Amino acid sequence: MSLYLILIPILGALALLLFRPNQANAWALGISLAVQVGTLFLLSGFNPNGGLQFGLDTPWMASVGLRFHLEVDGITLLLLLLTNLLTPLILFSSFNRRFESESRYYGLVLLMQGALNGVFLAWDGLLFYIFYELALIPIYFICAIWGGADRIRVTLKFFIYTFIGSLFMLVAMLYVYLKTPAPHSFQWEDLVAVQLTNAEAWWVALGFFLAFAVKMPVFPFHTWQPDTYTTSPTGGTMLLSAIMLKMGIYGVIRWMIPLAPESMHTWMPVFVGLAVTGVVYASLIAVKQTDLKRLIAYSSIAHVGLIAAGVLVWNKMGVQGGILQMLNHGINVLGLFFAVDILERRLGSRSLFDMGGIAKSAPVFAALFMIILLGSLAVPLTNGFPGEFLLLLGVWQYNPWVGALAGLTIIFGAVYLLRAFGLAMFGLPNSQTERFQDVHTGEYVVLGIVAALVLLLGFFPQLILGLTDSSVDRILGAVQF
Amino acid sequence: MKAILILFLTALVVLFAGLSGRRGTLRGIVLGGVLLALGSLLWDMTQADFLGWNTRFGGMFVFDGYALAFSSVILLTLALVVGLSGWGFRQLQETLGDQYGLLLFSTCGALVMVSFTNLTMLFLGIEILSIPLYVLAGSRRDEPASNEAALKYFLMGAFATGILLYGFALIYGATGSFDLSTIGAKVTALSGSRNMLHIGILMVIIGLGFKIAAVPFHFWAPDVYSGSPTMITAVMATVVKTAAFAAFYRLFDTAFGSAADFWSVPLSAIAALTMTLANTTAIFQQDFKRMMAYSSIAHAGYLLMGVLAIGSDTAEGAQAILYYTLVYSVATVAAFAVYMLVAEQNQDGTFVAFRGLGQKQPALAALMVVSMLTLAGIPPTAGFFGKYFLFVSVFERYPWLVVLAVINSAVSIYYYFKVIIEMYFTKEENVYAVHVPTGYQWPVWLGLLILVGLTVWPEQVLAFMF
Repeated sequence: MSLYLILIPILGALALLLFRPNQANAWALGISLAVQVGTLFLLSGFNPNGGLQFGLDTPWMASVGLRFHLEVDGITLLLLLLTNLLTPLILFSSFNRRFESESRYYGLVLLMQGALNGVFLAWDGLLFYIFYELALIPIYFICAIWGGADRIRVTLKFFIYTFIGSLFMLVAMLYVYLKTPAPHSFQWEDLVAVQLTNAEAWWVALGFFLAFAVKMPVFPFHTWQPDTYTTSPTGGTMLLSAIMLKMGIYGVIRWMIPLAPESMHTWMPVFVGLAVTGVVYASLIAVKQTDLKRLIAYSSIAHVGLIAAGVLVWNKMGVQGGILQMLNHGINVLGLFFAVDILERRLGSRSLFDMGGIAKSAPVFAALFMIILLGSLAVPLTNGFPGEFLLLLGVWQYNPWVGALAGLTIIFGAVYLLRAFGLAMFGLPNSQTERFQDVHTGEYVVLGIVAALVLLLGFFPQLILGLTDSSVDRILGAVQF
Repeated sequence: MKAILILFLTALVVLFAGLSGRRGTLRGIVLGGVLLALGSLLWDMTQADFLGWNTRFGGMFVFDGYALAFSSVILLTLALVVGLSGWGFRQLQETLGDQYGLLLFSTCGALVMVSFTNLTMLFLGIEILSIPLYVLAGSRRDEPASNEAALKYFLMGAFATGILLYGFALIYGATGSFDLSTIGAKVTALSGSRNMLHIGILMVIIGLGFKIAAVPFHFWAPDVYSGSPTMITAVMATVVKTAAFAAFYRLFDTAFGSAADFWSVPLSAIAALTMTLANTTAIFQQDFKRMMAYSSIAHAGYLLMGVLAIGSDTAEGAQAILYYTLVYSVATVAAFAVYMLVAEQNQDGTFVAFRGLGQKQPALAALMVVSMLTLAGIPPTAGFFGKYFLFVSVFERYPWLVVLAVINSAVSIYYYFKVIIEMYFTKEENVYAVHVPTGYQWPVWLGLLILVGLTVWPEQVLAFMF
């Protein structure tokens, strides 16, 4: 069952790339919706207290310990939901733009969807690595083919940066693999069972952290991110920020800490410190931004820094909050980038100084934008609130001072997001914004769905927390330090 | 053994047929001969040894599983190259038969190099392989670069052979034998001074180092690769490299395995130097062929890790080298196939020649992407598994070398992606037109299929071959 979530999009992608049909966008949307239905099917059959489910285990390269092993638990299911709820939205939001060689674009997005599902489903360390890298190839092409100015340099930097990071993960993974009793194995349980010395675990954790810190990104490994987000086409930015960076956080929860818990006493203060530094640093920079897309890129670093900190402190509150916030951040950031895309297409600029008074000419747009913005600000009764609250509680439990520092994210968030909203939507209209058209049906659907999710998950966070509760208990119980 | 005979007879036939034959007939004969030889190898792999010929020749060579596996890699690569030769050799007129003949003779030498059990046979194999290639490298007589390539290749080759031969002499002096297993036994039991043996081994490393173009014995490679006709460059980068590594591993495994403590030190240093220097130099190349030359040097550095796995008690090193050479050869031939079209149709050998290929020839460009990703070793391509096997085989003993190799493969992305960037991301008006001649498609698609098959069933392929 879980295999189809990988197979359908990848085969669909290959079909689109090879046969180049005319209505590529409709085909891609149909395929990704089919995957979404499959995910909902998994959800309906999922028993939150039932441990690992919907497994598939077949040898790929038995002699080197590689098995094609997929499993679903609550954490995986949530990330599958994230991927497969958002990918159709991303595809649909791309309908507004005409692409050169359309089938290629939509095929690559589908390939991305398949690879991401593979990352979250993999129960074999090497398989995880393979999907982790596979996801990098389509996004590189998407950003480099359809990106803006200077895309070649920016995307190559992005590719090499993340590739080097994950190669260190490969080395770390190999090290643990060779420590498993012969014949060696990459299965999660076997890797977790390995007892490393403190010094070994120190290196292993560092290898994993380099990979995941680049992906998320955590300060000071974030330098590729603002450029890449700004240069990429909106669909690519959404994929990167809404889904792809969650690979890093997921990797910390599933692989880094469980495989090298022995070193966490040493590393945790460093990692949490970096994450919280990133929160403050990115927020400060975001306040100064005038390019709206760049502003959201920095705000994303700040929000993700908080998620990373919460997950890294490794208590129930932090991990639960992190998982919940992964979904919420995905939804919110997708909505924000889509709003920016609408503004950019209408005005031909992303600069806040070219905007103003849009709320008057486009009230529906302004209202939907506001809802999503409030979700991102973690206002109570929006989806951001329960997640950030749990995260802050988790970090606070670890160390009140760090918790207080991390809490600045909410204050700073209010400053830069409301400032941006005010500059763009209120104030005096200029000649362009006077003629600003309100959202048309296609845009309304995307923003409407996002806004609805913001409110729904704000009212009923228990929907998600109940799903992951026992899985989080299990992984916390299995890995102690 | 049968494969060598078939190739040799085919070469004779094609030499004479070349006097009168039409181009298509010649190519058909050569392709038929190569496929027949390949078939005989596959037959021997699955059935019992037909006629018992594989072990008959008095301890001079033996076609065991190892030799059969590497021979089939070599012949498969050669079949792909011959498949491309309809267009690749289009400029040759009356010398076409000679070219095919030389190519086949050279391959006979390659097969001897993977199956020898005696140092004299190794020497003969290297010479049989090399001498026709010296001629082939210079086969474009009107081009100064081609002449230069031939002369350089010849001088360096002769020099390397001299050193190699001196090494053999010293080893003979130390052990009293040319036979690999006798040497192996003597080396284990050797008492007293080992200096003569050690100097001999060092000279063998240097001599073979020239053949595989390992740093610091690599400086001939870029000029020779870029000066030779592309078809011949493809052969040098694949067939020669495969044969040389098979010989390297066989020699060091059987004869010098118990002296691994001594030679692994210089060899690991050479491996580290080779991959690092080649990768950093490749970054600065503007010419595709020169880039591929440095890339092939870098791959030699990775492959040396497989040789360093000798002495750990498993056969992982041999398997890793086999898989890697297969993947690398197919990907390299595919890359040269695309390059040959775009560069020779437009008289431009730089990366610019690839500009806009993604729009003009999507299939060719896709193949190029796959082969570049494979060479860079990016998952889930077969190139990744090739690197993975090599890394695992030496990880426990040389973790630092693995880390270095990992960093190097990240560096290599930079120059492999230059091609991809030109094909897809540069938006200038398309400068060049590229058309695909008839008959050129099948080797290209076959190469792609092999690469995909190697990704999905790596284990099964290895199990079948070994």
